[in-house]
Amino acid sequence: MAFSALRFVYLGWIEEHYIEPIFHFSYYGFSWVKPLGVWGMYLVHALMFFSALGVATGRLYRVSAIFLFLTFSYTELIDLTYYLNHYYFVSLICLWLIFMPEPDAQFRMPQWCRFIILFQLTVVYCYAGWAKMNSDWLLEALPLRIWLPAHDDLPIIGPLLVYPETAYLFCWFGMIYDCFIAFFLFYNRTRPLAYFTVIVFHVLTGLLFQIGVFPWVMIGSTLIFFSIHWHERNLNILRKIKVFNALFKLDYPNNNTVNNFHIGPLLRAFLFVFIVFQLLFPWRYLLYPGNLFWTEEGYRFSWRVMLVEKAGDATFYVKDGVTGREGIVYNREFLNIHQEKQMSFQPDMILQFAHFLGKHYSTKGVQKPQVRAEVYVTMNARKAQLLIDPHVDLMQVKDTWAPKSWILPYSP
Amino acid sequence: MKKSGILLFCLVAVLIGVVACKKDDPEETKPGFDRVAMLTAYRDQFIVPAYQEALSKSTSLRDAAQAFTAAPSTELLGSLQSAWIDAAVAWQQACMYNFGPAGESGILKSLQEELATFPVSETKLNSILSTGTWNTSDFNRDARGFYAIEYLIFDPLSDAQTLVERFNAQMRRDFLVALCNDVRNRISTVQNAWSSYGSEFISNSGTDAGSSVALLYNEFVKSYEAIKNFKFGLPLGLRPGQTAVAPELLEARYSKISFRLAKAHYNHIVNLYRGVDESKSFKGYLKTVTGGEALVTETETQLSVLAGQFNALDENLDMADRIVNNPQALIDLHTELQKNTKNFKSDMSSLLGIAITFTSGDGD
Repeated sequence: MAFSALRFVYLGWIEEHYIEPIFHFSYYGFSWVKPLGVWGMYLVHALMFFSALGVATGRLYRVSAIFLFLTFSYTELIDLTYYLNHYYFVSLICLWLIFMPEPDAQFRMPQWCRFIILFQLTVVYCYAGWAKMNSDWLLEALPLRIWLPAHDDLPIIGPLLVYPETAYLFCWFGMIYDCFIAFFLFYNRTRPLAYFTVIVFHVLTGLLFQIGVFPWVMIGSTLIFFSIHWHERNLNILRKIKVFNALFKLDYPNNNTVNNFHIGPLLRAFLFVFIVFQLLFPWRYLLYPGNLFWTEEGYRFSWRVMLVEKAGDATFYVKDGVTGREGIVYNREFLNIHQEKQMSFQPDMILQFAHFLGKHYSTKGVQKPQVRAEVYVTMNARKAQLLIDPHVDLMQVKDTWAPKSWILPYSP
Repeated sequence: MKKSGILLFCLVAVLIGVVACKKDDPEETKPGFDRVAMLTAYRDQFIVPAYQEALSKSTSLRDAAQAFTAAPSTELLGSLQSAWIDAAVAWQQACMYNFGPAGESGILKSLQEELATFPVSETKLNSILSTGTWNTSDFNRDARGFYAIEYLIFDPLSDAQTLVERFNAQMRRDFLVALCNDVRNRISTVQNAWSSYGSEFISNSGTDAGSSVALLYNEFVKSYEAIKNFKFGLPLGLRPGQTAVAPELLEARYSKISFRLAKAHYNHIVNLYRGVDESKSFKGYLKTVTGGEALVTETETQLSVLAGQFNALDENLDMADRIVNNPQALIDLHTELQKNTKNFKSDMSSLLGIAITFTSGDGD
């Protein structure tokens, strides 16, 4: 039953471009993930493409699902600067696809399959909505007041976007939408209207912001809220089209074997741990001092999307510990424009880059390198201020889960 | 039924109504900024005139080279040298528009890289002069362009007569003319292309990656950073791993007009920021957005510090000599350029909402 909704989502995730910068930012604990070189990366993407097709058409389902999860997650893990919440979302869904049994003779699936996707979507929306309840978003309409006027050339709504009132409207509507849409989708009566809102909301944000496939992922995956009868009806229509029928194996399987839908203790335990993790992990920011949006400690993997406009300028100084001679790094020598932009306001990336620089220059004749960084960050259009202590030798700092004492407090 | 949905829609409708009423209010001055007017002004007052000037000066350079090679003399060498200086100075105004017709395409690099790469490779140039074979469209961008021409016609260690005598070799005369032709033709091609690209430039008036605003802005920042990094930082030995100053990395090191070129380049960037008419410039654009006034004030403060430092130095100062013997003023200048980077780079793009890359984001 979940299949009709999910299968179409997969087509179109393949982006063929892969550039190779000199340095890649790694995820904490995943620094062993390295890119494979041009042909290797093409191979991975090809594999991802075919496993997505496999999952969507139900051919070699299990193997395809495993490869889809592995290849997709692998490409995401290579470089932290490309982190996106919706890639994380896709990775999680792919993970669950591995464990889902193939549908039985009546095209049925165990309840937990639908439940876990519904749970994940509800978590995404609710946590995104909760995250919007901050004073900048609700009282100042920031950062939308910055982002919207830049799109005043859109047809029809464009001219409205320059007004701050529009930004307030979008902010409040976005917050209310995120908080409640999942619940409206749950109830039969509100579902059609709610789904219409889903389409409007995501198409609009897709037009306004550079967020890639996210709108289509959400529009596609929220279909799962619809009832089994609704999906059956649509399937029946699709079955009449021969091409679809052949391609996606929409007919009931001919063999009469009935799958065993018994949910094992291991899977049960995994489901439990996953749910607890999803519910609790986004709250870890409470354990860190300071302004979450400023320090970004505990920011990622928490469904915080489109919440803050930040940009930084990071100047790295590498000092020879013996001669005392200090040089200024040209970041673009090592990073592409996207990596430099992302790194320049996120402390863990700044630290990683500093360590890379220290290592790099120690091979270029700089002895006992000390690396410090002067990082000016502007947040929600406010005057730029220093993000980290410019005197700290970052080579002496290790990235851990502990609060980063070298981050300077934010003063509004 | 559907109460909550209806409620939601009512809320939306009311709020849209509020916005709509606001719009009809004649007292309200329309917020927002006319990017089309800004792009038009940049095209007509900056970009097109810059290419015209560069074309005219590079044409004079080619003519001077032809006159000189027809009958080499110290007098004609003098006029050739001053034609080169004029062309190199004119290029500083056009060097920053490396998009559209001047952008990378296929194996062609940006116009700036194709005809103004520095330092040039003396090894490659000497090899060309001894073998007599050259190719002005290969990958050896450090063996052609303005600074290869400069290498042929300037030599701080030799007098004019010695320089002229070197041109007794036909090969050297032919190479010089070929280089001058190449520079002129490349500029001419781009200058021509702008007559058709110009309208596309103006109509592509969004702020997305690939829009004219984003293209122009990215090159503006890149050009600014190039002054800081390559015209000051690197020759001053300020890069990590450098253990000494490196005056041999200076732009225009044979003619010794490095500082004059850097200053012309810098001034042009500031002029672009401010515009001829401020209301049609990046500066004017900033003034219309959230947080923009404060940034404009801060930027202007830093720009006046920079203007003071540039003007305190003699325009014709010998940078190579100063770098070796008394670099402090130049190091200070580099520091001040660094301080302004965040204003032009991160702050400005953030406030204007210009997308600097195509990569999709989460908005954080």
